Amino acid sequence: MDPPTEVIAPVEDDYDDEYYEDEDDDYYDDDYYDDDYYDDEDEQPAPPPDSTARKTVRTVGELLITAGLIILLFVVYEVYVTDLISAGKQGDATQALDDQWNSNTVETDPQRQVQYDLLDGQAFAKMYIPVFGPDYKFSIVEGTTDKDLEIGPGHYKGTALPGDPGNFSVAGHRVGKGAPFNDLDLLSSCDAIVVETQTQWFVYRVLPMSGEAAGWAEKQANPKCAKVTPLGAPYDKTVGQEIVLPTQGEVISEVPYFTGEVAEAQRAALMTLTTCHPRFSDRQRLIVHAVLTMSYPKADGFVPEEMKEQ
Amino acid sequence: MYGWIWRHLPGPLPVRIMLATVLVTGVVALLMFVVFPWAEPKLPFNNVTTPQ
Repeated sequence: MDPPTEVIAPVEDDYDDEYYEDEDDDYYDDDYYDDDYYDDEDEQPAPPPDSTARKTVRTVGELLITAGLIILLFVVYEVYVTDLISAGKQGDATQALDDQWNSNTVETDPQRQVQYDLLDGQAFAKMYIPVFGPDYKFSIVEGTTDKDLEIGPGHYKGTALPGDPGNFSVAGHRVGKGAPFNDLDLLSSCDAIVVETQTQWFVYRVLPMSGEAAGWAEKQANPKCAKVTPLGAPYDKTVGQEIVLPTQGEVISEVPYFTGEVAEAQRAALMTLTTCHPRFSDRQRLIVHAVLTMSYPKADGFVPEEMKEQ
Repeated sequence: MYGWIWRHLPGPLPVRIMLATVLVTGVVALLMFVVFPWAEPKLPFNNVTTPQ
């Protein structure tokens, strides 16, 4: 019987270039081949020299392993390293926003029209989702280019501003880059999304899900839902959460899915969040719609009670 | 390929190990800070917006 080791041994030897250079074959000679089992065997034939084919196969194998390692490294980059880079940028943007808010203190005057300095890539508001925990806070920047979204959630240019009638739309990454909208699918109806601007707090609440509108009266017993109602026409297609195709820009229209004119008085103040779906893919978009239920003027030390919801 | 690189590293074993580590670190840094940031927007993973 030919034990397989007899075949493998020369191949192993072959790959181990060190042994050839150092002429250090003692290990194999003494310990491996010279045991009783092999005593009656002939001397091992010298391993064949590296043929071109052998070299080619080896190199191709090494290249394939290298490609695998690079792809693994890319996953690490995408999921962890971009988080670190974005955390730095988000921190800088938040710092700049805080400085701006502290430098020109506005006396709290509800009549005063809020002025935003909307500059691409600069933060102008902060958002909190209390059900995601007290550490969930992001500064929202203006613009939705890749560069903007690396800093944090980005406001679609031209859509409504926080608190205004219309559709305040914000895009954010689901995976990597701080992943602000990683858990967006976990939001249920009536969960609060709090937006803080220089002068005001705005509390948006997720609209009823598509199946919930029928039994909504029961749901409204929950104090969180007291001010949330299915909006009715022309908002009948606007539900708490939906998954759409990447091309469906109508989800961030002033009145989602509605093309006609809606008088300003009838326009609800919506907030829409968009991110990719499913995770790690851009095949679809996950959309969350929320409606403005409450606003407070900012005051020293005042924090809306909605911020404590779990 | 790797065998060839290893054989062409100069110096005794500790120096070679050090050089190899430096090489690997350099390649990883190049990938992380140059290649991946360039390639990432071209891949269909992380588009989060809808058209307006």
